[in-house]
This record gives sequence, structure tokens and C-alpha cells, in this order.
Amino acid sequence: MAVRWSHWSPQLALTPSLAVTTVAFAGSIGWTIWLSFTRSRRFADYAIDTAEPWRQYNRLLHDAIFLNALKNIVVLGVGSLLAIVFGFILAAMIDREKRGEGIFRTIFLYPLAVSLIVTGLAWRWLFNPPLGLQAFFARIGLPWLHFDWLNYPQTAMYGIILGTVWQGSGFYMALMLSGLKSINSEIWSAAKLDGVSFWRLYLEIIIPMMRFTFLTCAILLSLGVVKAYDMVYAMTNGGPGQSTWVPAYYMLNAYWQAQNLGLAAAAAVVMLLITAAIFIPLVLLTAWQQRRQEARVQ
Amino acid sequence: MSSIAEAPLGTVGATDEPVAFPAKKKRIRGSSIAILVFLTICALFFCVPLYVVVVTSLKSMDQIRQGDIMSLPWSLDFSAWWQAWDKSCSGTLCQGVKVGFLNSIEILIPSLVLSIGLSIVTGYALALWNVKWANAFLFILFMCAFVPFQIIMVPLILITGFLHVYGTIWGIAIVHAVLAMPILTLIFRNYYKGIPQEIMSAAMMDSGSFWRIFWEIILPMSGNIMIVVLILQITSIWNDFLIGLTYGGIGTQPMTVILANVVITALGEANYNVDMAAALLTAFPPLIIYFVLGRFFVQGITAGAIKG
Repeated sequence: MAVRWSHWSPQLALTPSLAVTTVAFAGSIGWTIWLSFTRSRRFADYAIDTAEPWRQYNRLLHDAIFLNALKNIVVLGVGSLLAIVFGFILAAMIDREKRGEGIFRTIFLYPLAVSLIVTGLAWRWLFNPPLGLQAFFARIGLPWLHFDWLNYPQTAMYGIILGTVWQGSGFYMALMLSGLKSINSEIWSAAKLDGVSFWRLYLEIIIPMMRFTFLTCAILLSLGVVKAYDMVYAMTNGGPGQSTWVPAYYMLNAYWQAQNLGLAAAAAVVMLLITAAIFIPLVLLTAWQQRRQEARVQ
Repeated sequence: MSSIAEAPLGTVGATDEPVAFPAKKKRIRGSSIAILVFLTICALFFCVPLYVVVVTSLKSMDQIRQGDIMSLPWSLDFSAWWQAWDKSCSGTLCQGVKVGFLNSIEILIPSLVLSIGLSIVTGYALALWNVKWANAFLFILFMCAFVPFQIIMVPLILITGFLHVYGTIWGIAIVHAVLAMPILTLIFRNYYKGIPQEIMSAAMMDSGSFWRIFWEIILPMSGNIMIVVLILQITSIWNDFLIGLTYGGIGTQPMTVILANVVITALGEANYNVDMAAALLTAFPPLIIYFVLGRFFVQGITAGAIKG
């Protein structure tokens, strides 16, 4: 296709992105992995710790704070699944009742345009015990409705989950809505004609048809949860104590506050491994789905 | 449509039609109302934080101390906004969030130019030119799009330090360009893949030059995708916190970082009205873009999420 005398132009144009991929991605990942096997403290020390190469990882896995951070992202991930469920319900309702679609979509999606720091600060203010929603509920005669979750280590993660669900539901609604719209309209009329009940229609026909949309949402959600930082920083700043630390928070703290480069690198590698564990099924799934689609076309 | 048009005709002929018709219509309306009520309640839930932030920013501290977070302000008082903009303290520097606003604007422009410039050329080359290893490279980019920022954070500090841009606007812009490159390249590449082969063949006969085709044919055809990508990038760069925090120095911190300093690490008594006004001021630019150009915004985030 390419004419000979301009053959080198595309190659030349790709040099910057190739350089970025090799240096800033591949090289940097390798560099971080390398450092995680050294005894680097404040500055990089490139001698691999041959006596105890797994020293940083051992330290991580015996650190109650890091283990708690891992537990926290599991809690956050499970709790945030609510955003997918909620997003699907909203999308199904909007799709069924076409009236007001534009307005509702605009309202459900606006949190996505707002910085997570702003969102976190707004929720932090709502959770303020003497002046926030708790005081409001007491005023209107619901004093048993406690809204001071961020003040206790046992409940602070639930507060972060609430903020995350509020922020993310609109996004999953948008994905679900495009999934619902791609369903063949004949299915709706056929179901109506057969007198299939509302619940059976959704539980037995629509949701199974949308399983790939659900899976995509779940994978995107878990990848987001692994990276969670801004929301935690703005809502609790890791507190009370260290109860809401997440791996990203741990890694940044190890680098900036504890000034332990080796430990920070090891925490980052653990984050990469978790991401890979979620990401590889996605790649396999996409490849499989593509092959199935191609088979159908032929 | 057809059922509405046919129904009156049916009522003329059949005797039992008028009985069935209103009953059916009523049932549909009942469920519609239930759905609309449910959606409205959900919409209220989504609006509560925004409402609370707006009214809090307009109240005086005396009214806030009364503890009625949902009440309307006694009087429309924008002094907290002015204080947040001009006088609130980030650390020992008490010049308000306007410092961050100006920094964010200064960060935005080079970041947009670098990130879009790098990925549009890459996407164009990969989509429309014969590059042998294009598919392998696309797959690698696809994987890079998912890499957590923390794994490349420290090396990028060293690289920007080596280039003498760490702590400057350009340092932040370079990191934004690096992190956005995989996703944006995939978005541009998928868009250009849809350009008909005939156009490319004709262009090839006409000039055949990589850059001339890009400037004269491809770029003028990219209006739609450009708006989507611009909005995606403007909002994500404006809302970014971690890159600004890590690579920004004194005087180059973006608005989100200044805001977090004002609210979270503030000394002395908390002024919630000023805090919320500062938060609102930070949220304004992307919110305005969202409400004006919402359609493109939704396209951008879904493309960024699925393709990336």
C-alpha cells in the first residue's frame, strides 16, 4: 500500500510512541520490579539483595497495615458492585420509560465530570457528625439514623463505598444503556406477545443476553478499585488510624513519608500483579468473543 | 405508533374493544408513573451532595454551626466564594485557589498539545499505513492502558528529573502525555480504521506523502473524534490529583492539589463555607463542559473505558 519513497515516514512518526512504550512503560516497569528485590532506602541501590531477595515482599506480607490495605480493596470491590447493580436498574428503567431520558441521564452522569477530590470532600462534609447529615436526621426526628461512619475504623470503608457508588453508578448506567439499546427490538415485542412477566423477562432473557456487558463492567470496576486513591485521600486521608489505607495509599506513603524505595516498589509490583490477575481473563474473553463473532459471520 | 392509530378504528367495529382499551392504557400509565417516581427519587439522591455543597458555600459560619445542613442560606452571601478564590490558605501561602486555577490552565494547554499530538500521529500511522508490527504494538498499548500508575511513578520522577523538567509545567505535561498515550492512540486508531479505503488510495495517488495526507485529508476529517478526545482530556487533566501532586513543584500545583491542601491540611478552625466554595470553584470548569457538551463527554468516557 505505501509508496516506496515515503516508506520511512510512518516508521519515523511512530518513533516517539515507541520510545514512550519502551522507556516509560516497559523500562519503568522493569526498573520498579528490579528495585523491589534490592535494599533501596531513600535512594536507589541497584545491588540485588542476594542474601534475601524477597525481603521487601516478606516485609509487606507481614505488615498488618498492608494486609489491611489488601482487605480494604476487597471490601471496596465487593461494595462497589452495588454501583453496577444500581447502574443496571437505572438503565433498565430509563430504557423502559423513554420519557425524561435526557434529563435523567444528565443527572446520573454528572458526578463523573467532577474531580474525585471534590466528590470526596463533599461526602466528607456530609458525614460530618455534629453538622452534617447525622445532625439533619436528628433534627427531622430520626436520631437513630447514624451517619458518622467515617469516624470509626469499623465503618469508615462503608462511607468510602457510598461515595464511590454515588460517583460511579452513572458510568455503569451509560454502559448498560448502550448494551440494552443493542438488544434486538424483536425480543421485546416477542416477550410482550408471549406474555412473559416483567421479572422473568429481565432475569431469564435480558440479563443473560447482557452477560458480556456485565463482565466488562465488573472488570473495569475491579481495575478502578485497585487504583483507588483520590477518594480515600479526600474522604478519610487513610484514617481513622490506618484503617482505610489502600495499596495505592500504602505505596505513596512508603515512598514519600517512610522514604523506603524498595518497599514502595514491592507494593507497586503487588498492585501490578493484582491488575494482571484481573486483566488476563479480559484479554482471553475478548479474544474468545471475537472468534465467536467471526464464526457467526462465516 | 400503529397500536394508537388502530385502536380508535377497532372501537368502531367491535363491542368489547372499548372495555379492553382503557384498562390496558391505565396499566401502562401506572407502571410508567412508578418508574418515573423511582427515577426521580434516584435523581434526588444524586443531587443531594451538589445541593449541599452549593448551599453550604453560600451560608455564614454562624448558620452552619446551627447544624441544619439541608437548609437554604439566610441570605445570598458570596463572601465565602471570594475568600476561597482569593484568600484561603494552602500551607503558608494564603492566596486562595486562584493560584491553582491559573496553574491548572497552564498545565492544561501543554498537556493537551503533547498528549493529543503524540497519540493522533501514532493512531493515524497504525490505522492507515502498512506497519508490519502494528498489531503487536496495538496489543502492547492495550496492556499499557491498564498498568497502575504507581508501578511507573518513581522511574518517571527520575526521568523527568534527568530531563530537568521535574516540578515544572512541562514535567506534568509529559507525564500526562505518557499516561494518556495508550488509550488515546487506540481511540484515534479505531476511528481512522473506519475511513474508507478509496479515500486513502486516492490520497496516495495524489501525493503519497505521510505528512501531507495527515494535514490535508485526515486532520480535517477528525472533527468529531477531536471534540470527544478534547473533552475527555480536558476533564481528566483538570480533575487529576495524583500526577499534579507527584510531579508538581511549588508554584506548579494544579487546582485539585491546592484544594486538598486548603481543606485537608488546613490549620486552625475549619471554615466549611470556604471549603465548599473552593470545592465548587474547582468543579466548575469540567461541570460547565459537561452540561454544555454532554453528548461528547459520554462518548469520550465510554470510549476511554472500553477501548482502553
